[in-house]
Amino acid sequence: MRRKKCRWKQMLVYMIMAGVLLTACQGVGKEEQKSSLRIGVSLYRADDTFINNLRSMMEEKAKEYEREKGIKVTLDIQDAKGNQNTQNSQVERFIALECDVLCINPVDRMEASGMIDNAMTAGVPVVFFNRQPVEEDMNRWDQLYYVGVDARETAILQGEMVVDLYAKQPEAVDLNGDGVVSYVMLEGETSHQDSLIRTEWSVQTLKDGGVPIEKITGGIANWERSQASALMEQWLAEYPDTIDLVISNNDDMALGAIDAMERAQVTGVNVIGIDGTTQGLEALKNGSLLGTVSANKELYASAIVELAASCALKEVPPEEYPLTDQKYFWTPQEILIHNFEENP
Amino acid sequence: MISKGGRWLVISYVAFLVILFLMCSTDLIIREPEREIYQIAVIIEDDRSDNYSNFRKGMDQAAMEFNVDVHFITLYEKADADQQVELMEREQQDGVEAMIVVPADTEQVYGVQTNVPVIFLRPDTATAAGSGSIAIAYDEMGSRLAHEMLDEIPADCPVVILTDPGKQSSQERLFLEGARKVLADNGRKTEEVTRDEKNDSGVVPEAAGLQEKVALLAGNPEILTETAGLLGDYAEAAAGVCGLYGRGATVPILNALDRGYISGICVTDDYSIGYISVREAVRVLEGTESSPVTVESYYIEKEDLRKPAFEKLLFPIE
Repeated sequence: MRRKKCRWKQMLVYMIMAGVLLTACQGVGKEEQKSSLRIGVSLYRADDTFINNLRSMMEEKAKEYEREKGIKVTLDIQDAKGNQNTQNSQVERFIALECDVLCINPVDRMEASGMIDNAMTAGVPVVFFNRQPVEEDMNRWDQLYYVGVDARETAILQGEMVVDLYAKQPEAVDLNGDGVVSYVMLEGETSHQDSLIRTEWSVQTLKDGGVPIEKITGGIANWERSQASALMEQWLAEYPDTIDLVISNNDDMALGAIDAMERAQVTGVNVIGIDGTTQGLEALKNGSLLGTVSANKELYASAIVELAASCALKEVPPEEYPLTDQKYFWTPQEILIHNFEENP
Repeated sequence: MISKGGRWLVISYVAFLVILFLMCSTDLIIREPEREIYQIAVIIEDDRSDNYSNFRKGMDQAAMEFNVDVHFITLYEKADADQQVELMEREQQDGVEAMIVVPADTEQVYGVQTNVPVIFLRPDTATAAGSGSIAIAYDEMGSRLAHEMLDEIPADCPVVILTDPGKQSSQERLFLEGARKVLADNGRKTEEVTRDEKNDSGVVPEAAGLQEKVALLAGNPEILTETAGLLGDYAEAAAGVCGLYGRGATVPILNALDRGYISGICVTDDYSIGYISVREAVRVLEGTESSPVTVESYYIEKEDLRKPAFEKLLFPIE
């Protein structure tokens, strides 16, 4: 009787073990090729011209990817409206809606850790773009990537644009012929790493290139056309017939300066920008903008989309986008300068 | 030493606790209110979402309020009805519970058999299709704009109608039909010019060479934006134009209106349309009666931009 009881107990133990084994095995073999991808995209501000251009391009690239690979791609694009708390909530919502991967253009590059925590907990990879989180944050997980441009390279190219023109035609840069190129500087947000680097290195390149420069004044216009326009209007009144060159950290602020010059009926002042936005390129074509440094936006957008897709599909990052330190993709850039011969 | 009765009491107490725990953990006693998330696909007729920024704001607001997960989908090619039909089928297969569709071609898209409710943003008020309906009378919008043009431009000024070379969406077709009819009824000379996509300078420089001044009527927001940009760039051409008119309320269009490159535009309250479309879809899903909605259009000139009523409509705050 006792032996029978023992056997019964043994059987029970075996049955439990078998049950556990079967349950554990249930998930095996279920890893199927995904037929659809959901990408959560949070933009720091959708009304920023460059970001808006990039968003349009990302939408196009997502459709191209969908067509080529036959995998449905849903881009869930949200505007954080310059508010980090809003962006944090958006990231939580994306995770709750089971997005496969997140593409984040951080509002505050110093405050990415909260979003990274959430993504890590949920196991959702993140591709940051345009605003680079601090290195300590980026090193926290191997599923964090960054797509952007090398700010120093941008600034050097912007400086070289003027250096080359000065070498060929000094009178085209030194408008009043006093031997000094007097410039004003329009800066982006103080919290953005690109703003600081662009300001420092564009001026440094001008100095290194032998352009005799003198700073008249400068101001922070937070990447915005309207703020830049207001500053420029003030400077034109304060320093009449003095400004030879306007150096702007981006095209939008450069266009703001042009707006102010149009209002004040001032002509001839050279304005240089960065980004190569659609509006910037139009201004370049009609000659109101001397030049800009443009990242290859098509490559920029496709790098974000394809890197995100490869993360979501747990594939190796595509070879077309070589990563530095297995995390960073730097988009190539080029100088675009107004051709006075073709478009006087 | 616990008595036999006491032991049974302890056992039954423990059993009671276990049952209570199981009931709680399986929602048999404490059941949290279930919040169903509705999956709704929005399929527009355009290949870009630029003209839908205010619509999306309203849509997102409604999505938050009514617990909706919205998939916003654009076409590969603008006004490609075949592709829109394919996407509608794909979304159904992927399990959406309702769809909001801006038809690329009303005849083709209305005929699609669906097994989920569809809210059509109808470009006319004459037909009824879909589970709910939001109607924007584009033919009336066109005729209204044409009447305003006739009031403003000189009597001898011919109207050049600018259109896309590709397939027109139902919206554009109806809008231009409405405008053409009014212009013809009033004996106004018109000329149709198709945008040359290869030569992005379009029709505007040609206007500089014309003997008489012309008024321009853009068929869609893209042409309006492009033409306004060209008028800004080519002062000579701008001098040969006695007015540029069109439809749409994107930021570049409003900026061009503010700068005087555009004389007048017809707009709709896109934020409300986005909000109402999601709300109506949820109503249909919940079995509540959905009443048809007809949306009005407004004519706006530069002076109207800062009027509080229009400011709210053109620059909605979420």
